[in-house]
Parts: sequence; structure tokens; C-alpha cells
Amino acid sequence: MNAFWLSYLTVREAVFKGTLLFFFAVANVIIAFFIFAIDSTNGDLSIFGNPITPRGISDFNAVDFLFLQLFSGSTFWVILFGLFATAGLIPAMLEKGTVELYVSKPISRPLLLMSRSVGACAGIALNLVYFALAIWLIIGVKTGIWHQGFLLASLTVIPLFFFYYSVVALIALVSNSTGFSIMFALVFWFFSSALHVREMALYPWWDNPVFHRLLDSLYYATPQISAMLESATKLIGPDIMRRPTALAQGGFDPLPFLYSLLSSSLLYAIASWRFSRKDY
Amino acid sequence: MAIVEISNLTKTYTTGVIKKTPIKALSEVSLSVNQGEIFGLLGPNGAGKTTLIKILLSIVFPTSGTATVLAHPLGSVEIRKNIGYLPENHRYPSFLTAIDTMKHFGRLSGIPSQTLRERTQSLLALVGLADWHRVKIRKFSKGMLQRLGLAVAMLNDPKILFLDEPTDGVDPIGRKEIRDILRSLRSLGKTVFLNSHMLSEVEEISDRVAILNKGQLLHVGTIADITSHQLEYEIHLLTPTSTEVISQLSSFCESVRQEKAILHVIVNERIDFQKVLDILRRERVEIESFSPRKSRLEDYFLRVITTGVE
Repeated sequence: MNAFWLSYLTVREAVFKGTLLFFFAVANVIIAFFIFAIDSTNGDLSIFGNPITPRGISDFNAVDFLFLQLFSGSTFWVILFGLFATAGLIPAMLEKGTVELYVSKPISRPLLLMSRSVGACAGIALNLVYFALAIWLIIGVKTGIWHQGFLLASLTVIPLFFFYYSVVALIALVSNSTGFSIMFALVFWFFSSALHVREMALYPWWDNPVFHRLLDSLYYATPQISAMLESATKLIGPDIMRRPTALAQGGFDPLPFLYSLLSSSLLYAIASWRFSRKDY
Repeated sequence: MAIVEISNLTKTYTTGVIKKTPIKALSEVSLSVNQGEIFGLLGPNGAGKTTLIKILLSIVFPTSGTATVLAHPLGSVEIRKNIGYLPENHRYPSFLTAIDTMKHFGRLSGIPSQTLRERTQSLLALVGLADWHRVKIRKFSKGMLQRLGLAVAMLNDPKILFLDEPTDGVDPIGRKEIRDILRSLRSLGKTVFLNSHMLSEVEEISDRVAILNKGQLLHVGTIADITSHQLEYEIHLLTPTSTEVISQLSSFCESVRQEKAILHVIVNERIDFQKVLDILRRERVEIESFSPRKSRLEDYFLRVITTGVE
């Protein structure tokens, strides 16, 4: 019960800070755009009268194409906004005068940290669910196509963000700095994307098996942001914009989520261990 | 019955990234606090007072030594269930109202909903915030925040209350009300561990005090012990006396100080004061009046801190 109230207060704090409200406002602008811009009255899907056609692939469903574009674009902004909206929540809890109020209560420090992290991610999840449901409903009503893949793919962003947040939580705990946590998390995101394509992008740097195994280890020891996004995209349809040949085959792959669950658990465990032993 | 037992507690912090420099915040501190007493912890800034309280509440971990609170070892969740804590410069979430703050921290203490509702109302009334319960606390003054902090600390009906500068920023009327609350808690058998810079306040309500300086415990004792240790008198003269007379008095008095036409004399025995009067009469010093002055905690505190001698 304690954990629930702590998470609830974290959501309220994020709302109070305005970043989640900004997130909500942006979501509403996009929703409003879709209400007025999307049209399929003559059978073809169009935005402000311009037909949506997948570039160079004539037999590709226009609705799938729209959802794919939406998912690819919006997840980037959701994660980025989410990072800015929530990275300060753990340093705020650790501020002098605040941390004493929490750690003197009969609640363990690991539970405190996890409740705070869950609360941070819950705020993002609420916005995300609201946004995805609204878009799904608008396009569903206008086209008559109820695309479950888009809803499922959107939902996978919630665990993805929670796994990613383990990096933020650990760095915030060590550095006590919101700015540093955001910068490190952005660098990690970039690094994670590079690790995802390490065979092509990083192996050639140094043709050494030890170096290659080190990169492999880093890949599996940290949340796999790009791999999770790529896998989630397959719930909508083949990612024709990125790597048509590779992605045309195979469906949703849960392994990146499983590996990320394990690696983020490790990062949360390290953060909890550090938090449990630190003087405040 | 001792409710807090501290034995050889030492805390060393380290500073510096490459070259670690140890700083001893507490050094071999041993003391005990009894049930139902108000125990004052005194010391200048950086003496280790807050560190001692934080160690007892497992906010800071000791380098060595042991302690028990309510017969539980440090770190036990049972301690945190049964204590109330008002930290120095606390920062409650400013977007909450007073009542929301009470509810939130009450829930974290595991207080059942019905009890929490009842205690929230009664405690806000007790600290004089009943009319402010729906106001966001970012609009509160420092004194109001202190009152709220005290109410939150008392929510779980704690057996021990740890208060770090509870009257900081509170007006004189509010300070008196807080003192009255602490006295009523004592009458209910609660223990209050009070950390304050307000020496007169500590003197007024504490049963016993401990004086810390640079992490070392210099003294533990009752207020009565400290304030009746020596006899101090003020002698009002018609004109200031000579330095020869002062030096005669200084030969057997603990301290002699002249401010304009007032002599401040500290003696160890009552008979010594009679000798002071005899000398003044013999030297034809005209005395207008004299009065005994009880040695205050502040005098004792300043002497112990500056000289290290009790």
C-alpha cells in the first residue's frame, strides 16, 4: 500500500512540475490535428485531401503505413519528453530536507526507489495510453479499420520506458543531478542504438574478438532500446522506412524485452543497493 | 528506564574524490535517554547533533559503535514505526495541502485510514492549523511549516519524538505553544529528543541535556545540576571600584567582572560572597544593592564549549 501512495504522489509531483501537463497538451494538439486532418470518405485515406500512399510500395496498406509512421515518430518524442518530465523526480526525492522525511518512515529504501520509478513511469504511461487510444479511435472511426497492432505496439512502450528509466534512476542516485541524468540517459540511448547494430557499426572499428565480446556483453547487460522499438514496430507491420528486406520477415520478438527486463532489474538492484547504503 | 542507549558511537565522513580526507562527525559518544523525559542535545554548528539523530533513525550509518532505540538495534523497521521525526529545514511537497501532507505521510507510516482521519483533524487543531488545512503549503510561512512538521511527526502517536530545531522560524507565541505541546507529551509518558540552538528554551523544558562539541560529548546531566553548580551575584555600586579591589576579590572568587558600576561575581561557596561584601565595606565601596543570579544554561554552555572544562 505504501508503494502505491508513493507512486501516486510521484505522479502528482510530475503533474505539478508542469512537464506532464505539457506532454498532455502536445498530445491533445496532435489528436485535434488527426480529428480534422484525416479523411477517408471516398475510400482512400488522406490528410487534408492529400492521399496517403506508401512510397514505392503500391500494395502496402495505407492505414498500416500511417500507423507505422505515427508509431515511429511518436515513440521518439514520447521517450524524449518522458525523460525530461521524469528525470528530476529521483534527485528531487534525494534533496536535503526531503529525503529525511522518506527514509525515516517504516518503508525500505529499495521500495522507496522502486515506487518513485514506477510513479515516474506511470505518469508517462497515462499520457501514452490516452494518446494511443485517442488516435486509434479517431482512425478507427474514420476508416472502419480497428488496428490492434498499433494499440499493442503503443503499450509495449510502457515497459520499454520503465526499463530505460533504470539507467536514469541509477545515474540520478549516484550523481544527485537532474541535468547529468538526462545527458547520460541521452548518451546511453545513442550508445544503445549503436550497440544494436554493432556488427555493422562498431565491430569494424577494431577487429578483435575480445572487443566484439565486450560489445556483446554491454548490449545484453543494458536495456535494448532500439531492439525493443524495432520489435514493437513489427506488431503494426513491416518497417518499410528503415530496413525493408530484414524486417519484411518475422514478427514480434519478445527477446529484447526479456533481456531488457533482466538488465534493467540488475540496474535497479544496483541503484537500490547504493541507495540502501548511502548517508543522507 | 532507558529508551535510547548509545554506546561508543563514531561517525567519520570522508571528503575529496582522489585524496580522501576523513572528518570525524562523532567520536565515541555514549549516552542514554530515559522514557518520559525531554532530552536536550546542545552544541554549536557542526558539533554532530544532527548526525547523532540521523544515526538513531538510520538515515546515516555509524562507522563504529552501537545503539538501541526502544530496545531495537539500529536499522530495525520497528524503530521507524514507533518514532516521530521533525528534520531541520524539512521540505514537504509544496503542491500538497496541509491535510494532504498529513494523509500522505500518515499512509507511509502505515496508519489505518480511520485513525489517520481522526488524528489529522485533532493534530492540525493542536498546532493551530485547523483553518489552513485546505491551503497549499507553498503559501505557508516558516513557522506554519514547522507546526505542520510537528503535527506530521506526531501522527503515528510515537513513543519517541526526535525534533531537530522545532521552533526555528516560529514566533514567540508559537514557541510557547510548542513548548506546551512537548510538556503535555512528557506528561503522557512520551520521550522527546530535542536538538535546538535556543538554549533558553532547552533550559526551560528539558529534564536533561547533553553538550556536544566537535563530535565529542562534553557533558550529560540535569538542568538543575548545571544551573546550581555555582553561585552568581550582581552587586550594584554607586561608583565603579578600583582595580586593586577587583584583584583582591579575584584571589578567592571563581570570576569577577565589572561593567560600569555593576560587579558580576561568581563564587563556589555562599560564605565567599560574605567575604566579598566584607572587602567592599572595608575598602569603603558604596553598595546600592545586590542580588543573587542563577547561573544560566547559556553561561555554562559557553564556558564548556570555549574552555572544555565543566
